[in-house]
Amino acid sequence: MSIAQVRSLCKEYPSFTLSDVSFELHKGRITGFIGRNGAGKTTTIKSMLNLVHPSSGEIEYFGLPLKENEAQIKQRIGYSTGAVNYYPKKKIRDIVSVTKTFYSNWDENAYREYLRLFAIDENKKPSELSDGMKVKLNLLLALSHRAELLILDEPTSGLDPFSRDELLEVFIELKNRGAAILFSTHITSDLEKCADDIVYIQNGKIAASCTADEFEKHFVSDGESLEEAILRMERGVKNA
Amino acid sequence: MLNLLKKELKLSSSVLSYFFILFGLITFFPGYPILVGAFFVCLGIFQSFQYAREANDILYSALLPVKKSDVVKSKYLFCVFIELCAFILSAAVTLLRMTVLSSAPAYRANALMNANPAFLGLTLLIYGCFNAVFVCGFFKTAYGFAKPFIRFIVAAFAITGAGETLHHIPGLEAFNAFGFDNAGLQIAVLISGAVLYTVLTLLSFRRASSLFEKIDL
Repeated sequence: MSIAQVRSLCKEYPSFTLSDVSFELHKGRITGFIGRNGAGKTTTIKSMLNLVHPSSGEIEYFGLPLKENEAQIKQRIGYSTGAVNYYPKKKIRDIVSVTKTFYSNWDENAYREYLRLFAIDENKKPSELSDGMKVKLNLLLALSHRAELLILDEPTSGLDPFSRDELLEVFIELKNRGAAILFSTHITSDLEKCADDIVYIQNGKIAASCTADEFEKHFVSDGESLEEAILRMERGVKNA
Repeated sequence: MLNLLKKELKLSSSVLSYFFILFGLITFFPGYPILVGAFFVCLGIFQSFQYAREANDILYSALLPVKKSDVVKSKYLFCVFIELCAFILSAAVTLLRMTVLSSAPAYRANALMNANPAFLGLTLLIYGCFNAVFVCGFFKTAYGFAKPFIRFIVAAFAITGAGETLHHIPGLEAFNAFGFDNAGLQIAVLISGAVLYTVLTLLSFRRASSLFEKIDL
């Protein structure tokens, strides 16, 4: 069942154009969003969160257009990015106590569970956390309101291999509970480990949007790993 | 709406914004241009905008399940809250100066603006200018605050200068009359200030929401 649709999304910048980006996200499936730096992943994700204004195109969640139903939709989705550091000098406990008042579905048990899993101390401040722990803090906030769809911009960047693996296990658990996940990444092994679908973006255009099996069938040559196939495709673009 | 204000008070504000409310007490100072107190209160609010930018507050707020215009609303709610706290303080001091302290020689011989309802009206006008010039100007980019603040400084000191000059013009002394003499005229200035404050705040909120809606974060 499709729970999010991006149709013909275009965004023009002076030096970059996102053109005709379309894909769907499905309940109970993990979608890996892959592409090199500057390919348009973050612009697409920011458009999906109404943070940037697409030149054209439509974005719908749960059958509702984003523009007219932004607050309602954001109750049902979660977002996390690895890089941004919010309220670095406030205690995590205070950030959470304010944040949860905005969510009607805030799940205190889930919050406590992920707090333990990610080994986050509520009395610390974000400025006292390592980059990897900051990623986990952002994820903690995104996971604690029973989001039906998680949009994660490079959630595994900065994490050590053990934490990355642990996080991918969390993704699989959430998928089994029926949540949909879209996560952008540069790390192809993350895709191999848990992605059901792959959206591959090159120079602002969707080069592939299909299941992981179809991707392997159509784009990966015999004896080639996913990473080698993507590197080959990227070089093809560069040489073209 | 309350959770938006709570977010501002707990997460997005600098402690200086609260501390600078005390500049409302400048109203006690004899021989001092007491309207400057309103400017300092606004300077305190400005510190919160600086703090919020460093803390990525606008992006965090925009990701919460609220409308984009609610991000603007939360900043306006915070500004109005601080301004009203400082205004109440100034009003209380004004009342003291007009009653129990009315015979104090320092206030009797005051060459500058007296604490009276007209002063309170001009205070509200300065707060209204802060909302219209600085807060609304900030939401053109949700990032740059230097130019809007410089514009506000010019406006605030123009109002202060006008307020201090007005009662020296022959025929306009009543604006600065001591105690309850000419209270009717001074209350009319206070009401005009309150109306202008409300209009400037509401209109600039609408404009700021529309500006913020257009920008990419």
